[in-house]
Amino acid sequence: MDYKPVLPNINDNISTDSPIKEALVLLSGVVVFFLIAYGVLGLCVDWAVTRISPEMEAAIFSGFQVPSKFITEENQPGQAMLQQLTDDLRECCDVDYPVKVLIAPSETANAVALPGGTIVVFSGLFDMLRSQNGLAFVMAHELGHYKQRDHLRGMGRGIVLTALSALLTGSGSNITQLAAPGVHLTQARYSRQREAMADDQALETLVCHYGHAGGATEFFKAMGAEHDSGRLNAYFASHPEGEARIAALEKKIQDRHFDIRDVAPLPVEVISK
Amino acid sequence: MLMTNTEEIPGKKTTAFHGVVSGSTVRAKHVGRDLMASFKNIFGGELKGYTELLQESRDQAIERMLSQAEQMGANAVVNIRFSTSSVAAGAAELYVYGTAVTVE
Amino acid sequence: MEQLIIFIVLIMMGYFFGRMAESRHYRSIKEREQFWMTRPAGSYKRVSDPKRTILKSELVSGNVVISVDYFKRIVAGLRNIFGGEVRVYETLVDRARREALLRLNESCEDADEIINLRIETSSIYKGRRKQVGSVEVLAFGTAVYFEQK
Repeated sequence: MDYKPVLPNINDNISTDSPIKEALVLLSGVVVFFLIAYGVLGLCVDWAVTRISPEMEAAIFSGFQVPSKFITEENQPGQAMLQQLTDDLRECCDVDYPVKVLIAPSETANAVALPGGTIVVFSGLFDMLRSQNGLAFVMAHELGHYKQRDHLRGMGRGIVLTALSALLTGSGSNITQLAAPGVHLTQARYSRQREAMADDQALETLVCHYGHAGGATEFFKAMGAEHDSGRLNAYFASHPEGEARIAALEKKIQDRHFDIRDVAPLPVEVISK
Repeated sequence: MLMTNTEEIPGKKTTAFHGVVSGSTVRAKHVGRDLMASFKNIFGGELKGYTELLQESRDQAIERMLSQAEQMGANAVVNIRFSTSSVAAGAAELYVYGTAVTVE
Repeated sequence: MEQLIIFIVLIMMGYFFGRMAESRHYRSIKEREQFWMTRPAGSYKRVSDPKRTILKSELVSGNVVISVDYFKRIVAGLRNIFGGEVRVYETLVDRARREALLRLNESCEDADEIINLRIETSSIYKGRRKQVGSVEVLAFGTAVYFEQK
């Protein structure tokens, strides 16, 4: 038997396609799937949220602790006043269940509505405001979010995203760890539409409580004039387009023929020394 | 192209041999098959999905080996051996090798 | 955010260095295959020319362990979702197998023929269940030395 060696020219065992092309195709497949699943589940979240009554919410979140990054101490100056103001406003906007107000001493000027019925107000807010009406508008805005169940919507979407990635790639994987911070992002940033609806709701509440719409745009105007970049960054992360909102509010005041009268001064408890 | 796992093709004479030829593929399962396999883990029975998957891979590996043998000018492959191993999470490498020969 | 950047950097490094190592390796493999082509090596159980006297025979082997790079790992992970051929791994096992054969050849330079060649592949896990670190290929056979006339 003779030995006749020949080396094959073409190597069939490897493919000549670029691996980058394969990687991109697979990646785009995964991205498309995620987008579709996210969209579908987002719709499910919207449907489910309208069916969670405040009583259910209180039961679910009874163990919910305020995240430690919102450092709050009970009995901050002005908390009792703010709680009273919020309780009065609640009657005007049909929020039946108890809402607890906490003040967090901080440079930032913001307020956050958390699941379970807690509103955390950052004390930097008080420096931005000139009147009780302006303060009431901010609180009424947060109450508007509660009424619309926005806080549940945002959290629901974040949970859906994390759950999807944990299902496909395992809970410890890199991709899931990337998605988890997204929960915080979606919590902080409601869509423009929802913010506008909360603004409208707040305007109605303001007029109902005080009888006029004075002070409604005070907060946005003050933020617009603010030059301190530290506060601006925190603000714009969760409340984009102040100018547009001022314009929308003023238009609504005009359309509904609300009065604008003198505003009450800010209560002494919250004026910083 | 003749194939056998014996030394000689029964009934034919080997005139020349050209060296070792081999074919390999790496195939992965997808999540659908994985889910069915998890169910079967509870109830038992044949994992038809996997059987098909590995059979297809084996056929493709054999095809590649035969194509290599053709390039060498052989008309048969003898002493064929198979080997399966897992080289990636959830993917199996099917490897088949033999000696390419010319018979008459 | 930093995790995403680290992830992308690792993938790019894996891709570029992996491609470089692969092309260099393939060039070396092709050269050495040309050189060793002339010596018969097959999975036959007997020598090709039974008339020649055999001086000695010995078991010879060659093995190599080649690792995956990060890019290959991620693409294989994506492939796991959709199924199909994992093309990025084909070059890995191909290189490993050819290298193992060449090392077997190099370990017995004076032999006249290699018979009963067998090739075994195994994977070496890195620890976590789902991560595969590298592929090991072992090629072994019997080297036969003929009497020189």
